[in-house]
Amino acid sequence: MLEVSGLSAGYHGEDVVHEIDFSVASGEAVIIIGSNGAGKTTLFRAICGLGPVSTGTVTFEGKSITAMPVHKISRSGLAYVPAERHLFPQMSVGENLGLGAFPRAPDPATLKFVLDLFPRLAERQNQHAGTMSGGEQQMLAVGRALMSRPRLLMLDEPSTGLAPKLAQEAYAALEVLRRRGMTLLIAEQQVPLALKLADRGYVVENGRIHKTGTTEMLANDPDVRRAYLGVA
Amino acid sequence: MKAAVLDGLVLGLQFGLLGVGLTLVYGLGGVLNLAHGALAVVAATVVALLMDAGLPAGAGVAAGLAVAGALGLLIDSTLMRPVYRQTGEERVLLGLLLTLGVAFMIDGFLVWRFPLRGLSLNIGGEAISILGVRMRSGSLLASVVSILVGVLLVVFFRWSRMGRAIRSVIQDEEGAQLVGVNPVAARRLIFGLSAVLAGLVAITRSMTSPVQVTAGIDFTILALIVTVVGGLGSVLGAFLAGILLGIVNTISSFYIGTYITTIMLLLAAALTILFRPAGLLGRRR
Repeated sequence: MLEVSGLSAGYHGEDVVHEIDFSVASGEAVIIIGSNGAGKTTLFRAICGLGPVSTGTVTFEGKSITAMPVHKISRSGLAYVPAERHLFPQMSVGENLGLGAFPRAPDPATLKFVLDLFPRLAERQNQHAGTMSGGEQQMLAVGRALMSRPRLLMLDEPSTGLAPKLAQEAYAALEVLRRRGMTLLIAEQQVPLALKLADRGYVVENGRIHKTGTTEMLANDPDVRRAYLGVA
Repeated sequence: MKAAVLDGLVLGLQFGLLGVGLTLVYGLGGVLNLAHGALAVVAATVVALLMDAGLPAGAGVAAGLAVAGALGLLIDSTLMRPVYRQTGEERVLLGLLLTLGVAFMIDGFLVWRFPLRGLSLNIGGEAISILGVRMRSGSLLASVVSILVGVLLVVFFRWSRMGRAIRSVIQDEEGAQLVGVNPVAARRLIFGLSAVLAGLVAITRSMTSPVQVTAGIDFTILALIVTVVGGLGSVLGAFLAGILLGIVNTISSFYIGTYITTIMLLLAAALTILFRPAGLLGRRR
């Protein structure tokens, strides 16, 4: 579904990630593990058009989306939930969700699905997004992304800034999506939760793919255990 | 007093329409369009020329608005392109310089080609009495048009999908792109719309007093004051500020004298910056 090959990207002519190759198949949940500054966000931004690509290609469902404008990539079925969420703070929850479906009208069945997945959003449809708690904003960001009925959902650190209980709730919602067949690509520092959810993973260090394998392999890998799971 | 307030309301609605365009263009693209008033005068001049040539007023007005809108679209898609490539302060500065240049060019051209041209639309009919105040039908028509367009704008931005998409770019451009909004298209649309609204204000002004070809700079300054008082990027704020300033304007010219009005308006802007830097309905950045 998503193929990334030989991708180098960065800012101001300085590459942060180098010659990244990876792929995500339809229906898979894939995680990108890496510490802060490893280049996960740069990689994600380059894939979805927000950041410049130096070399390499990104292919989504057989079509090249390398350096396409962000709004076109988003309309083609790839939704990205950035760590900073980028909600519309002075619009209500309902308006934020409605815009998620832009340029089409919101689909009632999808809206119902999102509100069932996050009942808290249903209670707060008229509240301004900017006044909500971090956990609720994260739900809204995922909900808004789902409104476009994407075929691939990319999330950058969905548990960032959330208390452990809320992070678990966020991952419980992602588990529901996974079971319904949504393809997921997640960058995460909070590795234990993400490892439980995903099928496969890649470890990124200093802007390069360092290791790859099934989540079981990664969970038993001594380096991964030491660096990301807090096991000596 | 009642007459002054009512006159102020009429004037204020037009101030509001004048400010809306400027505030939206700034909110979307960070460009403070100093050619705003020049575009308004272009519309008025086109109407005057076409009516001289014997066209009916309605056709002239339509053509005037179309010319202003097309000019707005042209400026956005040519001169503004390098501006949008910059970020932050550099974008604001380059935008100011380039639009000031456009304003000079348009003003210069109009004064050179049509030095004595002015537009005044004489709306016939009897004066009508409202709340015990006799109002000229020109004022009435100007108010009706301004209110109607104002309501349409609020409805568009609150309830239409396109209007919400445009607001989303103002609130979070990256978020807007991620949901599939094209910010380039949004900016272009608003630049064109802003020019049409400016043109409309010049035309409705001409229903109560003549609009000269040199009036561009006055329109621009008025629009800047409305934008400062109303808050950048706020449609409702621009209308509130417009009405407030319109009333300040007529009351001060009624009781003190016309020479003082511009000073009073600038004073209102200065007080706003002191006590409410984000404007009446603006949000802090």
